[in-house]
Amino acid sequence: MERRDFLKIVGAASLTPATAAERSDAADTSPSATVLYDDRAIALDRIGVDPAGETGPLWVRKRDLPRVNGFELKPQGACRADLCIPVPKTMTRGDFFNLTAFAKKAAQPVVAEPSAKVWSFGEMQALGGGLSNSRIAPDFEVLDRLGRPVHLAGFRGKKALVITWASW
Amino acid sequence: MKNQSLEIIAAAQDVGGETAAGKWYDAAKATFTQLVDVKHTVSSVFQFINVPMGVWIDEQGRIVRPAEPAWAATRTDVYGGKPLAIEGEAYVAALRDWVANGDKSEYVLSDEEFARRVKPRSANEMEAEASFKLAVWFQQAGDTDRATKYFERAQALNPDDWNYHRQEWSFTGEAGKKWLEKFKGYDKEYYPKLELKKKGG
Repeated sequence: MERRDFLKIVGAASLTPATAAERSDAADTSPSATVLYDDRAIALDRIGVDPAGETGPLWVRKRDLPRVNGFELKPQGACRADLCIPVPKTMTRGDFFNLTAFAKKAAQPVVAEPSAKVWSFGEMQALGGGLSNSRIAPDFEVLDRLGRPVHLAGFRGKKALVITWASW
Repeated sequence: MKNQSLEIIAAAQDVGGETAAGKWYDAAKATFTQLVDVKHTVSSVFQFINVPMGVWIDEQGRIVRPAEPAWAATRTDVYGGKPLAIEGEAYVAALRDWVANGDKSEYVLSDEEFARRVKPRSANEMEAEASFKLAVWFQQAGDTDRATKYFERAQALNPDDWNYHRQEWSFTGEAGKKWLEKFKGYDKEYYPKLELKKKGG
């Protein structure tokens, strides 16, 4: 092939509109919603539309529920460990589950900024894991100065003094 | 405090992270476990409301003493004409006693005393936690307007949590002024008085 012909072919290829696959690679990859739960930030790539058109409710995919709050949907309701909370029909819609309505039923606070697509969930005392139920210290994970995760459970077998301080 | 029988885990609870906290760890030449707790996770787990606060945890993971001020020094300072006492000597002495004597230490709280000191969070306190978490999220994302909105909401829901106030004030450039104003008008103990009761007491 002569160089001129080769350059014509390369030039033509660069002007070809991107295929659908190529376009989707460049598509916006920000999550549809972010849930702040315990000390995690969970990105959800798809959430449902509220049937009443309200922005406050958060409809998550049923299959995302376990990784958000540890609950699974079963015939008797939403269950986690020994706790099952009955789920009325209005709390589900096709593949989606109304997580904010569930939180309200479980007396769990939610503070949300839907315009920024972020929902922050507070403690669910119905789970019974708080300090007033058990003297066993809950495990936690916090990063050290080098960004390495440190777990309280890693100190079992030793006496530990855990203290907080601040530069302010 | 050097003692091979005690692990000291210090959590610098600062949304500013290593940038804010690192130099203080360096200055202290810290040899203990140094955490950078940008989301205030430790305070959330143990229901701390100010700094410095601490808990003692035994070899089985049991909380021996729940949230209380964890100073090492003893002194009384005066701010705006109002005294602020810190009680470190007695605390450190108690800590040493526990390290030496374990469960036999008179500073290990009974289950009854533990239950008296630890209360479930109220609805407002739980909502304040959720709001603070959201504020930290926005602060880390650089959205300071929304961060302020949710810091202030947390403060309103739980005015006794000094951490919520002091962390947010640290971003304003008026931390000292705001702290003094709240401190002077505060009608409760800034640091709860230490109750170093004997076991079963």
